[in-house]
Amino acid sequence: MRRDPPDVRELVGEEGSPQELDRLRRVHDLLVAAGPPPRLSPALVRPPRVGRLALLARPRRRSLAALALAAALAAGAFAVGYAVAPRGGFRAAWVVPMHGLGRHAQAHAVLKIGRADAHGNIPIEMEVQGLPPLPASAYYELYLAKKGKPSASCGTFRTGPGTTLVRLSIAYQLQPWGRRWDGWIVTVNRPGRPPAFELVVLTT
Amino acid sequence: MREGSPTDGELLARVARGDSRAFEDLYRRYARPILGLALRRLGDRGRAEEAVQETFLSIWRAARSYVPERGQPAAWLYAIARNAIADRGRARQEPPTDPPDGPDPEAGPEERAEQAWLAFRVHRALEALPAKERELIELAYWGGLSQSEIAERVGIPLGTVKTRTRSALSRLADILEEER
Repeated sequence: MRRDPPDVRELVGEEGSPQELDRLRRVHDLLVAAGPPPRLSPALVRPPRVGRLALLARPRRRSLAALALAAALAAGAFAVGYAVAPRGGFRAAWVVPMHGLGRHAQAHAVLKIGRADAHGNIPIEMEVQGLPPLPASAYYELYLAKKGKPSASCGTFRTGPGTTLVRLSIAYQLQPWGRRWDGWIVTVNRPGRPPAFELVVLTT
Repeated sequence: MREGSPTDGELLARVARGDSRAFEDLYRRYARPILGLALRRLGDRGRAEEAVQETFLSIWRAARSYVPERGQPAAWLYAIARNAIADRGRARQEPPTDPPDGPDPEAGPEERAEQAWLAFRVHRALEALPAKERELIELAYWGGLSQSEIAERVGIPLGTVKTRTRSALSRLADILEEER
């Protein structure tokens, strides 16, 4: 088996105008300089399914339990992602992108949902961008939602300029997904204003 | 670009409107070039694959911000990928090992960046070839096979290998020239 680059004369022959042969040789040089493209592992062969309801398969480091969970999620058309955080960082079982609504259309967030611990506590890490800082006593609230309506509070938070990293924990049974909850929303709560759930600022 | 297939710009415009089919097409075109870029930068397959996932999440979110007048879609996608890969690089907890970026460890940052961009463009162009042509190019350049060995491996006449290879190189030249 040959290890060096192929002989360009063998590949393109001698036929054709000098310009055309030059052109083909330039491509040959580019291919040699670029080196081989990597092969996609099975985890990357299929494109991630995104959108309002999507499952992003990322089977690396998964356990049988995670496989079963992923299958259940796929069946329930659960939202978005499966990802693993950097070593030593937050390890997400799913990643759910959220987008802003109304005058917060430019805002977005990435919700990383971890695995439940032995007691059923599920860590959540959320990176929020574009939600404006609120006056004192006002706050944002993350909810599990059903048909676009907030259903179970997952905690409250405030934002600063740029990206805000929020860590929350919930102890709800998320499975089977779609029965009790089918999405996530963030509301803004301003004391003395209408009920929070009428002011949805982010949704999946 | 294959005749009749949408351009990258058209796909991005559809992704911006939430078209997941267009997103899948874009993924098929760019997953390998982006993985290649991530491997050069991060040197670790697992982390590189994570960076690919994050890149495509960013593309899905940010497609609306692509402005065709400001540059080629490939350059925009490259920038998105580079940012996601840099984020992934910063996120690592352990001290960095030797810089894995680029095939030439002696190259300076500018040269490495140039090599990375070149490889990205070439790998992207390869993805635009018909599968039959791409296979021949990969076997000839990185499979270490001669033309007759390829003919035997693929099970087609030597003459067809030669014609198809030349046609693939010509098509690659078209694609790469189109981008400039």
